[in-house]
Amino acid sequence: MVAIPSESTSARGADVGIAGGGLLAGAVLATIYLISAPLFMLLASAFRGPRDMLPFEPGTQWTFANLASIYADKTLYSAVIPNTLVFTAGSVTLTFTIAFTLAWLVERTDMPLRTTVFTVVLFPLLVPGIILGIAWILLLAPRTGLLNLAIRATFGLGGDGPLNIFSMGGLIFAQGIALVPFVFLLLTAALRSMNPVLEEASNTSGASPAVTFFRVTLPILRPGILAPLILATLVTLEQFEMPLILGLPARVSVFATRIYFELNPDTDLPAYGRAAAVALPFLAAGMLLLWFYNRMTRRADRFVTITGKGYRPTRIEIGRWKLPALAFVTLYAAFAAILPALVLVWASLFGYQSPSWAALSQVNPTGYVNMVYSARFWMAVRNTFLVAGGSAVLVTIIGALLSWTILRTRWPGRGVLDFVSFLSIGIPSVIAGLACMMLYLSLPIGLYGTVWVLILAYSYRLAVTTRLSKAALTQIHGELEEASHVAGGSWLTTIRRVVLPLLAPSLLASFVLLFIIGFREFTLPVLLQSRENEVLSVIMWKLFIGNQTSQAAAVGTTIVVLIIPVIFLMRRLLLGREAT
Amino acid sequence: MLAKPSRIVVTSVLVAVAWLATASRAISVDDWTTSPQIRELYEKAKAEGEVSYWGQVEYDLVWAGAPFNKRFPGIKVNVVADQQGPTKMIAESRSGKISADVTQQTLGSVLEVQKRGLLAKVDWSLAGVDQRNVLFDGEAGTIHNFVYSILYAKDKVQAADLPHKWEDLLDPKWKGKLVISDFLFPRLMGFLALEWGPDRAEQWGRDLLDKQGILVTNVPRENFLKTGERLLAVAEGVQAAAQYTREGVDTGYVIMNLIPAGQFLVAALKDGQHPNAGKLLALWLASDEGKALRAKLVDEPDIRPGSKADLTAQIQSSGAKVLFEDMSNFNQRAEYYKRFSPLARGM
Repeated sequence: MVAIPSESTSARGADVGIAGGGLLAGAVLATIYLISAPLFMLLASAFRGPRDMLPFEPGTQWTFANLASIYADKTLYSAVIPNTLVFTAGSVTLTFTIAFTLAWLVERTDMPLRTTVFTVVLFPLLVPGIILGIAWILLLAPRTGLLNLAIRATFGLGGDGPLNIFSMGGLIFAQGIALVPFVFLLLTAALRSMNPVLEEASNTSGASPAVTFFRVTLPILRPGILAPLILATLVTLEQFEMPLILGLPARVSVFATRIYFELNPDTDLPAYGRAAAVALPFLAAGMLLLWFYNRMTRRADRFVTITGKGYRPTRIEIGRWKLPALAFVTLYAAFAAILPALVLVWASLFGYQSPSWAALSQVNPTGYVNMVYSARFWMAVRNTFLVAGGSAVLVTIIGALLSWTILRTRWPGRGVLDFVSFLSIGIPSVIAGLACMMLYLSLPIGLYGTVWVLILAYSYRLAVTTRLSKAALTQIHGELEEASHVAGGSWLTTIRRVVLPLLAPSLLASFVLLFIIGFREFTLPVLLQSRENEVLSVIMWKLFIGNQTSQAAAVGTTIVVLIIPVIFLMRRLLLGREAT
Repeated sequence: MLAKPSRIVVTSVLVAVAWLATASRAISVDDWTTSPQIRELYEKAKAEGEVSYWGQVEYDLVWAGAPFNKRFPGIKVNVVADQQGPTKMIAESRSGKISADVTQQTLGSVLEVQKRGLLAKVDWSLAGVDQRNVLFDGEAGTIHNFVYSILYAKDKVQAADLPHKWEDLLDPKWKGKLVISDFLFPRLMGFLALEWGPDRAEQWGRDLLDKQGILVTNVPRENFLKTGERLLAVAEGVQAAAQYTREGVDTGYVIMNLIPAGQFLVAALKDGQHPNAGKLLALWLASDEGKALRAKLVDEPDIRPGSKADLTAQIQSSGAKVLFEDMSNFNQRAEYYKRFSPLARGM
């Protein structure tokens, strides 16, 4: 590995100027503002009681009762924690294996149809989790699952099965597949930015591709791999959709489902205090993982690959491996994208009719017709784009500036900022929503009930952007910025013309991910809803719990259709950059 | 000896009696809406122009706007379905301004709001509401019941094979054929515990899980009935049968020997932004007319004493015992929920 003088990587922002300083300070203040309310609400709620009062009500007191009732429960240690560890380890392993393979194929090889594959891989992220879960049940329910029926017919088997989605294995499989798009998007950004010069040097020296991969490529990519790995671990830990849909029937209870049950308790008021108490270990896990990440990436100069020398990303020719690669992608797409899409579209037109040729004559497009003629629907479309896009832009900009501040300055407290921004991923969205509700009810600025409060509420998720931006910045040598300063460029000019273009893949990946997450987010907008700020996911959720399945599926299909062009556009932008 | 009345006289008397019966019924329907107090309230409500009507599920709310406006034109009904409704009302009350004018919730949810002093007192007698159907000293009125039942897909189960007692579900022929909601399972057990005692109810629940392999799920159950993955959906509300049928699963329901009946209430909010419209809508929803329309349009019946719903007649003719949810058993059932929930949720 090429050693690079460490001083050069530490351009410490001495010449940011007044405008630059103001911009960075603004980002820091915005970070504190966006995260402090949810974080404070989480910590405060966990220690406020009694149980039958809301944490913010007069009469509540500081207490350890919430923690005691959660952590004194023996089943937590005998069942819930072991289940959670098995579930998380299994899912993340599966996710990473598939996502890395796909990202490698798309960004570093000459596999055909890369743009199409990119969009197809992301598809599961577009589909609401409940639909994905129901699709798996249709396919792998032990008695009537379509795949089980086919296997039994093919091999002449009797009874139920042989596959059962209602099991720990089924749950790991479904969750692992579901998180692939998230990790794929993060990994493609890292792989895209990688300068292949070190790999070329290794190959030229006679090392085999496998040796190059394990001894050169992986170590260089360490920040770019660790960030998604850590994020995937935290996201999996707090996932409750698949564990509820598939784990509950299998009597597999994990940590995240405890949060859900506390919010849908035995009596009729959600137990926010107990839910917050359950969420505290997520913060602890976040702290531990962040420490691990910082330790592993401590010598940032070791990971620099982008220097003042220009480079052109090269693609590995996979030759006869193209067909197996495409087969792998097709298999993934079939399970993760095609089937859920078919389930969604079928349900939107046929409700719960079983798929058959005879059922085709009973097509019912009422769900779509009602939607198109509904002013409420079009307002929700506008709101959804505004909220998802606005929050994605806001978080991406703030996250990038924050990352630069953390890595390139000597400002006091930047370590704390890094830590706090990362912890945001450990805050359940329902707690964040409660915090925003209380904050904006209290502030006399007229934001409560508007789309603007949703944009601000969504924007506490800075962890994704800061991890991505930091990982990307770590790979960029400081000499590039120094060269710009020496040439007379101001700090703003340097950022705009040198740093941002190099960060573009990561920033675009961050934007797309946040946009998609924002598009399908429903916990926050449900909690903060009003007639004026209703979004598509809330309409879909209301239809679904009202047993209006086909109409809910119609809205779900619309959500997917609206996001797909954004992904295509992003891919085009990235490819355009590559061409220039 | 009296002369035999002529045919004309008899016919005239019969016609007069029939007319009087019809007219008196018509008068009683119109009475409450034409009373001076209601007209005065209506004028104030019309000046407010709109009313915000909150509940948990949108489907349970949207039906009301058109018939309410037919009775009381000029008041726009804005529906908000929000499962966090009680939390929001409590939070908003701290700012002195609540978005909701009328709330429709379960007994437990209304209780949380009521005990915080957020509900307005309403004179329910203005809408002819029976005093037995008024709670919290005039702050809430009953509207409909969640009637627990067992649902089945008609093309997969013969009516003759259906269970009619909850204990029948332990028959080995139902092993591996039952599905239940994780939310409703402990609630059903809580009701049964009132009749059987908690130990027997708990054992019944354990046997369903361990011996019968009942599938506990969080997703809508109609898919399991449609595909045949499971044959009986236990502890579903009767109204779900009609909803499932509309979604393509021809579903029937069973009148059990013991019928738990959850209670839904309606109330007006004291600090709502349209207080008069709120009270008027609440009165209408709790009236016989409102209840009858709710049963007809969204299949949500009121089966309390005095109800004229078809389901009430079915239950009475079956001889089933109804376990109504009310304040006398609420706290006891809450304790039972806490005991049974971990069992239902696999914890």
